[in-house]
Amino acid sequence: MSAPRWIAMPIAALVLVCGVVGVQLANGGGTYEPLRPADPCVARQVTSRADGIDGLTERLVLLGIDGAACRLHVSREALTLELAQADEPTDAQIDALRSGLHTAVRRMKADGSLPPASALVDEALESSDLNDLLKTLIRALPDSVIDSALKTDDVLTRAIDDLDLRALLADVDDQQALEKRVEVAVTGAVKDSLEARVRDLA
Amino acid sequence: MRRAKAPLLILTVALVLADSAVVTLALPDILRHLDASVGQVAWVLIAYNLVLGLTAVPAAMAFTRAQPRIFSAAGIAVFAGSSAMCAVAGSIDVLIAARCVQAVGGALALVGCLELLVAQQGERRGVTSWVTAGVVGTALGPVAGGLLTQAISWQAIFVVQVPIAVLAVPAALAVRALPTVVPDRHRPATRANLTLALMSAALTAALFLLVLLLVQGWGRSPATAAVTVSVVPVAAIAARPLARLFLPPAEVEIAVGCFLVAGGLLGLALPPSASLAWTIAPQALVGLGLGLTVDRLTSAAMEMRLPRAHHAGWTIGARHVGVVVGLAILTPVFTADLRDAQVPAQQAITSLVLDAPLKPEDKIAVAESLGNELSGQRDQVPDLHSAFATLRLDPGERPAAARLERDLNAQVERAATRAFRDSFLIGAGLALAALLTLVPLRRRRPS
Repeated sequence: MSAPRWIAMPIAALVLVCGVVGVQLANGGGTYEPLRPADPCVARQVTSRADGIDGLTERLVLLGIDGAACRLHVSREALTLELAQADEPTDAQIDALRSGLHTAVRRMKADGSLPPASALVDEALESSDLNDLLKTLIRALPDSVIDSALKTDDVLTRAIDDLDLRALLADVDDQQALEKRVEVAVTGAVKDSLEARVRDLA
Repeated sequence: MRRAKAPLLILTVALVLADSAVVTLALPDILRHLDASVGQVAWVLIAYNLVLGLTAVPAAMAFTRAQPRIFSAAGIAVFAGSSAMCAVAGSIDVLIAARCVQAVGGALALVGCLELLVAQQGERRGVTSWVTAGVVGTALGPVAGGLLTQAISWQAIFVVQVPIAVLAVPAALAVRALPTVVPDRHRPATRANLTLALMSAALTAALFLLVLLLVQGWGRSPATAAVTVSVVPVAAIAARPLARLFLPPAEVEIAVGCFLVAGGLLGLALPPSASLAWTIAPQALVGLGLGLTVDRLTSAAMEMRLPRAHHAGWTIGARHVGVVVGLAILTPVFTADLRDAQVPAQQAITSLVLDAPLKPEDKIAVAESLGNELSGQRDQVPDLHSAFATLRLDPGERPAAARLERDLNAQVERAATRAFRDSFLIGAGLALAALLTLVPLRRRRPS
């Protein structure tokens, strides 16, 4: 006795449903979700479209946020959003950021991506308010002299220590105020670094 | 008028049932135009279905004591008048009130039109016309509403109903139908009505959530969404001729229909991208399921049961209470999921902006602009375009910014799609629950 014709109907329905759902799943249907934040404790490559001091600052900040997020056990995206949305960053966030920036300087020094001080001098002098004679004298110095007198990592470490990160975050949407604060911190750090060098020589 | 009587009555039945979901695609426009909240605007949909579901049985009870043509004409006239009131409503409260009156008129019209169609076309053909008009109206409602909203305005949805209903009033009055005094012999078909209610809830998930996903989640226009969801009615119409190839018993056809709707909803829960093409096959499954179940279940709930109007009332009640239950279950789930989707979406956006190949000052400008846009669009799927449109960038940076905008929109679409997943899965669960109601219960034999 043959099976009734209608038996083919549920079978066809089963094949259709399995086919449609199978094709959806095979093409990534179950995983069509927003990008998941990466683990901030795993080192990542950061790049910048900017050159010179801007590029260096951007790479430092990106690595610094990673380090801070790792310390705080949150993703760098969550930390960035918290810092952007909160009225006032917490002490723990400020400490983590400073520590993250220090770690970033050490990492960049270790992987050789930190430029020598001589590569940044021209750009730094352009935006500084030193008198023209002094700027000309410094520009006349050979790179080797500048690089032996100023270590980029030392200057950056001192600048990070001097920076008022709370005020810096408050000024993040004011480009001029931001640059001014960084310039003051870097100039102070250069002076401190030179003084320390002279003290060591003495 | 003689020839036009039956078509006008059939059209009225289709209109009343199309109204169940006709405003789905117009809700965003109504929200903006009447300055309403999301919660209020949802009541434009809920109120109609709730009142229609609750008044269908009392209307059917009242019908047996009335002159059929007067009763039907009065219902259609109330439906026409309240449709006009919906079109001119100046506030959300007036619109919701008008929708309630429209549902009362619709309940009277549906019950009345059934008897008039039977009087006009005979028992079998009349009931078939009534049932088919309901299925076609339900399936075409969102499509018609979307196209009218896009082409003219949301008010046009209600305006076009008025002349059809006005013409149907004399058509109803012209039908010679005597009051049928039949004793209440049969109990309502509980199982068929329960299955119908669960299937209506599942189909609400399919139609209501899909149009919301297309318009709100994927940013498509109401017209595009309307054309896309037209796959459902096309497949529903194709279902009957296809089923005839297999000559299945009614229960098998209904079970297969429930399974196809569940499968289609599962497919809609798992699209591999925000491309409209990925919704076509799942929608076809839903449409085939709709075509196989709703008319069969409606017929099963009414077949050989008298008085016919009472049992028609029960099926209308079951369908629309099912729609309300579906909305009541799904609305809080997907609104909560949409809210929860904001965090992963914001984090994905932040990640892309941080790593974007833009100059640092441009990144800060983009972040600031996005922040302003996102904070102004709380509890909605954000439109990021205006954040980029207001940016002042170097011409050299624009290709990278355009790429970033595309990537960010893709993340928003991913987050919105993920937010709808659980609701579609609940819809699939409702269709499977409908399938379970078909399992025959064994009676314990006395020992």
